[in-house]
Amino acid sequence: MTEQWRLLQTGFKNAYSNMAIDKAILVANSEGKVPPTVRFYGWDPAAISIGYFQSLVEEVDIEACERFGVDYVRRITGGGAVFHEKELTYSIVVPESHPEIPKNIIQSYGRICGAVMKGLHQLGIESDYAPINDIVTGGRKISGNAQTRKLETVLQHGTVLMDVDVDTMFSLLKVPNEKIKDKLIADVKQRVTSLKHILGNEIRFNEVARAMKIGFEEEFDIELIEGKLSKEELALAKQFEKESFSTTEWNHRR
Amino acid sequence: MQSHSIYKVPQGKLLKISLEYDEKKNVITDIRITGDFFAYPEEAIELLETKLKNTILERKQLLEKISSFITEGQIQFIGVNAEGLTQGILMCRP
Repeated sequence: MTEQWRLLQTGFKNAYSNMAIDKAILVANSEGKVPPTVRFYGWDPAAISIGYFQSLVEEVDIEACERFGVDYVRRITGGGAVFHEKELTYSIVVPESHPEIPKNIIQSYGRICGAVMKGLHQLGIESDYAPINDIVTGGRKISGNAQTRKLETVLQHGTVLMDVDVDTMFSLLKVPNEKIKDKLIADVKQRVTSLKHILGNEIRFNEVARAMKIGFEEEFDIELIEGKLSKEELALAKQFEKESFSTTEWNHRR
Repeated sequence: MQSHSIYKVPQGKLLKISLEYDEKKNVITDIRITGDFFAYPEEAIELLETKLKNTILERKQLLEKISSFITEGQIQFIGVNAEGLTQGILMCRP
């Protein structure tokens, strides 16, 4: 019988809540209380997330974020700063010991990115894995991904860009060298793409989610059964949101 | 003396280092390693920062200290390595 994992569709939430939920699922799964889980979500308000090792003040123009009503949050995963606006974000939580998950971290990035690529295929888009943590189509980035391993559990989250506004993104992010900012923006516009750009029209979040569900099911030979966060996960998420993700201590710690 | 470097690790990520050092003794007094790389476990970076305090700013010693930290702690860096970290640190010195 096909193995069943849980699918969570948690809708659009703020940055602190989104990051807290991913961590809560990781903790609950590590204790064997919930099955392996794939989650699809969005961001409201739009937000910047930065990698665990990044310096908030070096990467993010905090004053601009406040002016635009954009939140910012530090992730528990490494990697770079991301402007989350028009995108589908996924997360996957699964024990490190699961036979479908390679022990080798880079290989496991490849497997999980494979699920996203199979999802893109459902939308008629062919893509390539660009190690370590990107997916490209026609050489241009459509998805960025970041993984952590804690409590013998893998958490990877990543984006599928539905539309992209590079100018707004760069008004919120700091660049190392202001003199070359215009060139940098032009470069990024060349290097990044979106579902809207490829398909030629807007695509609905639910349509992307439907495609990604099939992608994950095919890649891991599983069936995703729609479920809900457990009471314990909800309580944990609330705790993590309050104690870390929404706090200055956490977000400014580096 | 306070200093800062930005170093694109070859085939890797962007490493940003903030360094405080004693010019006379040529010794690190404080260091912050930031960037868009990955490390497993993530908490290793704070331990490495602590470990690098009081290290002499010299390539061989830095490389040895960082390499042994990675091996002993079974740390896995992705997008940066001991050579990249050493280079980024040394670039903070004029």
